[in-house]
Amino acid sequence: MSVATDTAGAATAASAASVAAASSNISFDDVTVAYRGNAVLKSFSLEVAPGEILALIGPSGSGKTTALRAVAGFVRPVAGRIRIGGEDVTDLPPYARGLGMVVQNYALFPHMRVDENVAFGLRAQRAARDVIAGRVRECLRVVGMLDYVSRYPRELSGGQQQRVAIARALAIQPRVLLLDEPLSALDAQIRRSMVEELAKLHRDLPGLTVLYVTHDQSEALTLADRIAIMRDGRLNAFGPSRQLYRRPPNRFAAEFLGRANLLPVRLESSDPRSGQSRVRFGDAALVAQTGSHMAVNEECLLCIRPHDLVLEESSFGINIVTGTVESVLWQGDLHSVTLVARGERIRLGMPPFGEPPRLGASLRVRFAPEDAVLIANPAANG
Amino acid sequence: MASVAAEAGRTGPRLPATIWVVPPVLVIGALFVYPLSLIVREAFSGGTSGFSLATFGDVLRTTAFQRAFLNTIEIAAASSAGCVALGFVIALILAFVPFPGSRAVARVIETYIALPTFLAALAFTFLYGSAGILNEILMQFLGTKLPPVDFLYSPAGVILAEVTVYMPFVMRPLLAAFSTIDAAQIEVASSLGARPFRIVRQVILPAALPALLAGGSLCLLLTVNEFGIVLFIGAKGVITLPLLVYDKAIQEFNYTMACVIAVINVVLSLSLYSIYRLLLVRFGGRCAGLV
Amino acid sequence: MLVWSRSGRAGVWALGAVLIGVIYGAPLVVILLASFAGHWNGVWPSDFTLRHYAAAFEGSSADQLRASVFTGIAASAAALVIGTWAAIAIRSVRPIARRFLDLFFFVPSAVPSVSVGLGLLVAFSRPPFLLNGTTSIVIIAHLILVSAFTYGSVSAGLARLAPEYEQVAESLGARPGYRLRHVTLPLIMPHLVAAFSLSFALSMGELGATIMVYPPGWVTLPVGIFALTDRGAIFDGAALTMLLIVTTLVVLIVLPRLAQRGR
Repeated sequence: MSVATDTAGAATAASAASVAAASSNISFDDVTVAYRGNAVLKSFSLEVAPGEILALIGPSGSGKTTALRAVAGFVRPVAGRIRIGGEDVTDLPPYARGLGMVVQNYALFPHMRVDENVAFGLRAQRAARDVIAGRVRECLRVVGMLDYVSRYPRELSGGQQQRVAIARALAIQPRVLLLDEPLSALDAQIRRSMVEELAKLHRDLPGLTVLYVTHDQSEALTLADRIAIMRDGRLNAFGPSRQLYRRPPNRFAAEFLGRANLLPVRLESSDPRSGQSRVRFGDAALVAQTGSHMAVNEECLLCIRPHDLVLEESSFGINIVTGTVESVLWQGDLHSVTLVARGERIRLGMPPFGEPPRLGASLRVRFAPEDAVLIANPAANG
Repeated sequence: MASVAAEAGRTGPRLPATIWVVPPVLVIGALFVYPLSLIVREAFSGGTSGFSLATFGDVLRTTAFQRAFLNTIEIAAASSAGCVALGFVIALILAFVPFPGSRAVARVIETYIALPTFLAALAFTFLYGSAGILNEILMQFLGTKLPPVDFLYSPAGVILAEVTVYMPFVMRPLLAAFSTIDAAQIEVASSLGARPFRIVRQVILPAALPALLAGGSLCLLLTVNEFGIVLFIGAKGVITLPLLVYDKAIQEFNYTMACVIAVINVVLSLSLYSIYRLLLVRFGGRCAGLV
Repeated sequence: MLVWSRSGRAGVWALGAVLIGVIYGAPLVVILLASFAGHWNGVWPSDFTLRHYAAAFEGSSADQLRASVFTGIAASAAALVIGTWAAIAIRSVRPIARRFLDLFFFVPSAVPSVSVGLGLLVAFSRPPFLLNGTTSIVIIAHLILVSAFTYGSVSAGLARLAPEYEQVAESLGARPGYRLRHVTLPLIMPHLVAAFSLSFALSMGELGATIMVYPPGWVTLPVGIFALTDRGAIFDGAALTMLLIVTTLVVLIVLPRLAQRGR
């Protein structure tokens, strides 16, 4: 966005700060939503801190969109309360909640020009004419669309429509911004640059609380301060993005957020001081982060991200696993190698080889104890 | 600003939004349901106060009513069958053997839906009447003095006119249904050696059946209700229920009898309409766009 | 493409051309010819004249055209309001009641128009509602008969409207009335225009109910055309029918185009 060009930086940052209202938190307090008797959100509790971007991710049908629609007021919880900035909004109609919302297809009003779209919320709330004009310009400048004020939505590209939709949501000085799969209608290349622009936007509007619903884990990892993973209408895992990625608390979180190798291992001993544990993988002894509480001799899973594995020449040292190469796939910026070690598949992301390993060859890989975490194995322990 | 709006949202008890449906219900109720209920009351009171089936029985026994009833059923059934057959053939050609301008032709045929129905009857007098084009050609050709073709002032004339006017109601949903058939299906079928008739029977007909049934039942309803064509053709022997209602009420001022016939006609129409709606529900919104 | 062989296709097209030409082309052509015919004694009409059109624009025929257009506009406008209102209001009704009400708004189109006319005659010929012999009873009859079409057309438009538009509008603080006026109605405007023009077309051609209720001073075109042909003035009738067709088509084709250009 043109906002963040270096020359204009300071000035726009100042004006951008006034685009957002005072930051508010969102809290779900034991919220249950049901459609025709089917609970799609089950006793859901979550706190979105003021000024943060919280990504709500999960497979389709996990209830993430329902949670967002409950905040917006389009679905009414059968139980529980929703608060925004401490105010209970559960019984308020959507138009009285003061939220900005951007949806998947943007829903720009096709019969209105860009400036009319952005002015819509302020006009609906009967703001003064000069106030509207000022804010429309300000919000369009924040998203870099000032040159398009008198265009109609059909004359804009997908990415441009997206920016106008954001400006329209910001214009009412929303207490929080709700983004419902805002990038999924864009093609891959524009999506990547829009992620960067959204990140930049939030740097310019640090007070803006954002609830971001997506099924794309890479968007969530890039943008969100914290991530909530949903499954079957419940909160499955929640935490700061980096921590959730590095130390997923359970198998579902490990597999949903990025790719993971999950090796079945047996816990031999834990050292509470270092937070590390010794586990056995066949006849190899490995060391990893302990993760949640586990008992000695318990079957659990060792989680390692593919890119945390490196090739090892020597056979001495800790955390070395030997396997035979099953497949090598070249993916442009990396080689994806699959090893088989003791009947388990291990995936590696390697920088492109000059000469890739041959199939059936024996390969040794190593990982650092800090890069591996133990998680419970629900299959092994009933 | 947001909090101002939030407070405003809370003021005063709000009526449920459902309340807004009441005014149109009242209008239709007063202008449609109330008059119909008076017809029913008139029919069952026999012109007196109180309940009586006497007039009903009298009307049912008249040959005029019996003939009109049979005519109505016969004409409607034959017309609808004709609409289904003709509609299927024309839709098939327009959709699967298209020619340049076939879309425009489809649109022209569809506009017949919006034109007055008596147009066909009026045109038929010029085309097939005793001094019409067809008879004049045949008389010159055969050298006869009397018009050889004489079907217009019989049920056949009415049926042909109704087929003309109501065929688009079958063609339109059919074209919609045909457009959902994957062209690849037909190509694969013919690459496997299926002849056109076989493809029509085994691929196209099953896919078009819901639209065909819905369109056909709609035609049945509309042809039972048709008035203009029968009035314009004005054949002495071809009286249908709507025409009989008109005759009794306007020509003979016998309102009670008109009401009895109207009640029977309305019941017949509503039964057909229920069938049509059930078909629509059964086959989903695929035939949407029809009333 | 169902028929691959060239000769097969030619045969199918020939069949189609004959069917469509005879059934849909010929009627319009003969009415057009008849409307200009001075005499029609042989196969083709002769002594072409504009006399019938001249007659159509003066005296009672001109009154009939005026009555039809006025009735069409008034009844369609009223039906548009009622149908749109019903289609919008019904969205907030619970599913089961909604299905019942949907049927209720469609039913007037399923009842024979003659019976609708008879009902109005019976209901409004006595106090307290004495409308018999007035213009308004004709307009009411048309209004009832076309209301189902406006309702259906607007309902279809609303069903096709993505719910996000209204939801986003609401989240931006637009109350129901503001949202309706500035978002919902503008977005379904093409359907409103289509509903109005179809209603107008149907009203212009309405005969069954009109012939039951029309007062002597408010004869519509179809009633007038029937009177003309009934007493043998079939060329005058044909000219009036052409006028009716042209008026109907103009509204049906031009109005939606105009509405589209205004966007």
